[in-house]
Amino acid sequence: MTTTINPYAERVDYGRLRFLHRINPLAKLAAPIPAMVLLILARDVATPVVFFLLGVVLLLIGAHLRPRVLLLVLVLLPLLAGVLSLSFGLWADSSKLPDSTVLLQVGDYQFTTAAWMLGLATSTRLTAIIALSLVAGLTSTGTDLVRAMVQQLRVPYRIGYTALAAFRFVPRFGHELEVIRAAHRVRGMAGGRGPIAGIRRYLGYVVPLLAGAIRHAERVALAMDSRAFGAHPQRTERYVVPFRLRDLVFILLFWAATAAAFVLIPTLELP
Amino acid sequence: MTDTPAPLPLRVDSVRIRHDESTAYTPDGVSFTVSPGEVLLILGPSGSGKSTLALALNGLIPHAIPAELQGTVTVAGANTTETTVGHLSETVSMVFQDPDSQIVTGTLLDEVAFGPENLLVPKAQVLQRAERALRRVGLWERRGENPDTLSGGGRQRLAIACALALGSPVIVLDEPTANLDPVGIEEVYAALAELVAEGDHAIVLVEHNLDAALDLVDRVLVIDRDGHLVLDGPARQTLTENVDRLVELGVWLPVSTLAALRLRTAGIPVDPLPLTPSELTEALNRVELPAPPSTVSAISTMEAAITVTDLNVTRGRSKVLHGVSLDIASGDFLAIVGENGAGKTTLLQAIAGVVRPPRSAVSINGIDPATADVRALSRAIGFVFQNPEHQFIRNTVAEELAHGLEIQHLPQAEIDDAVERMLHRFGLTAHRHQHPFLLSGGQKRRLSVGTALIAGAPVLALDEPTFGQDRERAAELLDMLAQLNADGTTVIVVTHDMQLVADYSSHVAVMREGRLLATDTTAAVLAGDLLEQAGLRHPPLARAMRALRDESWRGIARSADLP
Repeated sequence: MTTTINPYAERVDYGRLRFLHRINPLAKLAAPIPAMVLLILARDVATPVVFFLLGVVLLLIGAHLRPRVLLLVLVLLPLLAGVLSLSFGLWADSSKLPDSTVLLQVGDYQFTTAAWMLGLATSTRLTAIIALSLVAGLTSTGTDLVRAMVQQLRVPYRIGYTALAAFRFVPRFGHELEVIRAAHRVRGMAGGRGPIAGIRRYLGYVVPLLAGAIRHAERVALAMDSRAFGAHPQRTERYVVPFRLRDLVFILLFWAATAAAFVLIPTLELP
Repeated sequence: MTDTPAPLPLRVDSVRIRHDESTAYTPDGVSFTVSPGEVLLILGPSGSGKSTLALALNGLIPHAIPAELQGTVTVAGANTTETTVGHLSETVSMVFQDPDSQIVTGTLLDEVAFGPENLLVPKAQVLQRAERALRRVGLWERRGENPDTLSGGGRQRLAIACALALGSPVIVLDEPTANLDPVGIEEVYAALAELVAEGDHAIVLVEHNLDAALDLVDRVLVIDRDGHLVLDGPARQTLTENVDRLVELGVWLPVSTLAALRLRTAGIPVDPLPLTPSELTEALNRVELPAPPSTVSAISTMEAAITVTDLNVTRGRSKVLHGVSLDIASGDFLAIVGENGAGKTTLLQAIAGVVRPPRSAVSINGIDPATADVRALSRAIGFVFQNPEHQFIRNTVAEELAHGLEIQHLPQAEIDDAVERMLHRFGLTAHRHQHPFLLSGGQKRRLSVGTALIAGAPVLALDEPTFGQDRERAAELLDMLAQLNADGTTVIVVTHDMQLVADYSSHVAVMREGRLLATDTTAAVLAGDLLEQAGLRHPPLARAMRALRDESWRGIARSADLP
């Protein structure tokens, strides 16, 4: 089983070297946006590889990673890129590809270098975007993100903190769904295989789940009202998530690196 | 009582409330005041509007709940209809029944700080208040933890701390222990007792568990079924002087009081009328007790209907049941008890095939739920889930009942006949075309029992059938189970309610940490210390009797066994 993500985990400071934990979550989200747009548009392999490496290097230096996560970043992501390159390559329309070396032939079908390179371009783009999202994802907490959105983006706190409270619903509904499924199974609703029966089965879970959810949400709302939630336009913030000069510097440096890649990578061709 | 210069924290004046979907006003014309430091208990049969009244005390009615409020509720001099719930919360705070639905943040400290933060209390003071509140309920050391790690009782103490941190002089608690196990109830009342001892908060309590509450209460209000205020006075005096009236009104009296009344009728002078187990013990120790009535212990001679042999169940990577072996005789009423997380529900689900047990670990009259199909299983055992809504799969009450027979491929005439009988038996004939979700709580429960039994299963398994229900609805269900049991159905229940165990079950299986500590007759379990070993408590009557000087009376645990 994977470790469950706790959206309420407190921010931990791992010292100056692990600087990513000290950057404002909004800065970590804003910094890679131009690079991600560029990646969506890029068609070569070099650009995604460069940005993938940028993401990984940033994480290795600036983030405190547990061994399991380190494994994900260093082994599983490249592996994913490799596997996906083959499967994306298989889907490539060979009639539109230039002639190239045939790597594998099964009957009429030819798997060529060109097809593989096309698959590789797609798969590396995907993994590069994942790596860049992990820069923010692995070093920020849900609460800090909500606080930053309320404090800097002026998102109304009623929305932000209600969203955070809603995270509590997720495991609860997971458990409830499990019970409902068991209940329907012992009552003999499992009947039939195949997608249609499956969809019907799931529709049957919706009503009890929704009924429970609405009741629960009403209770939570009453409890929050009773504790003065929404009484004033503002609320006391015990944790300030500041937006400092270093956050700006982080964004600008990231954008500069993105611009440099745009200019310097010779194979980068945009449609 | 009236020597306070400031306006009273809470004044209720001829209040009538009607929910939008209902026609009756309950409560109807209730007036009372709450003075600083006073502990007030609101009693009434179900449907009298106690909880509705509680919701009006901090303005949730009419601000957040669609209901019509007549009369006035005045909180610290302000009319609740003209102030927001947020501002009212500075004077009146609330603790609700369900601990889970009151938690909104990720740590205990954040949770307690949530209220004061909303009130724009400066940061340093928020922390001060949070620390004070958490210390008062004994949770300060755990401030960094996620509230999910607390037990039910712990979460309810946290809710009390949250109310304290708001700094309000009045705390309203609406059925705060209805969802808790015996130890959780004890925890919550220990925390409340400390508050009462300090005397700086007025407390308004809506509670059916009088045995735990009465030690703390100064004053009781009694509302009748029509929502009228019928009694208001000092707790002890009001209860003891109006016992007959209260019984007539359908108010649940403490178990100890009911036992004493029964003993008085039998000619044993119990005086003064006790309200708590320790008072009953004292009163009985003062009199010469006759020989106790001989209790006919139901020793089942029937052969085992269900055998469980070395049952192990793992969930994910953790083992939740460790080698459980158990025989349940045909006609038994077995209660499975244990703390939260002891594996009670898992055991019940494995027996009934709701979670698949390993092969040949369970046999229900020769059927192995590990391999049996739904049809065979539903003829062998019926399962009632904690929340009846979870098991409803059809669109009308009649279809819901018919479903269990349709999967048996019985002829239509036979199905119609059986459905008709079930509808009649469970009082649902008038609701046959209704959607099961639109039934009342008690009707839903009856329907779920009906669906479990319709395929002719001789065994009925129920998971926490009285959880979160008021006393009256719980009693209605239990009497129905007792009737089924008397007619020959083997009943297995998982429960936290020890008085239920004492009054209804013939046998008890005690679980702790995934292991079965013992199975024995209810009388034997209540006479020994197994319950304490399992982290549970004896029910009130057993507690009173076990402390008696007269040894021959110590084994009595159920009201039915009293003379």
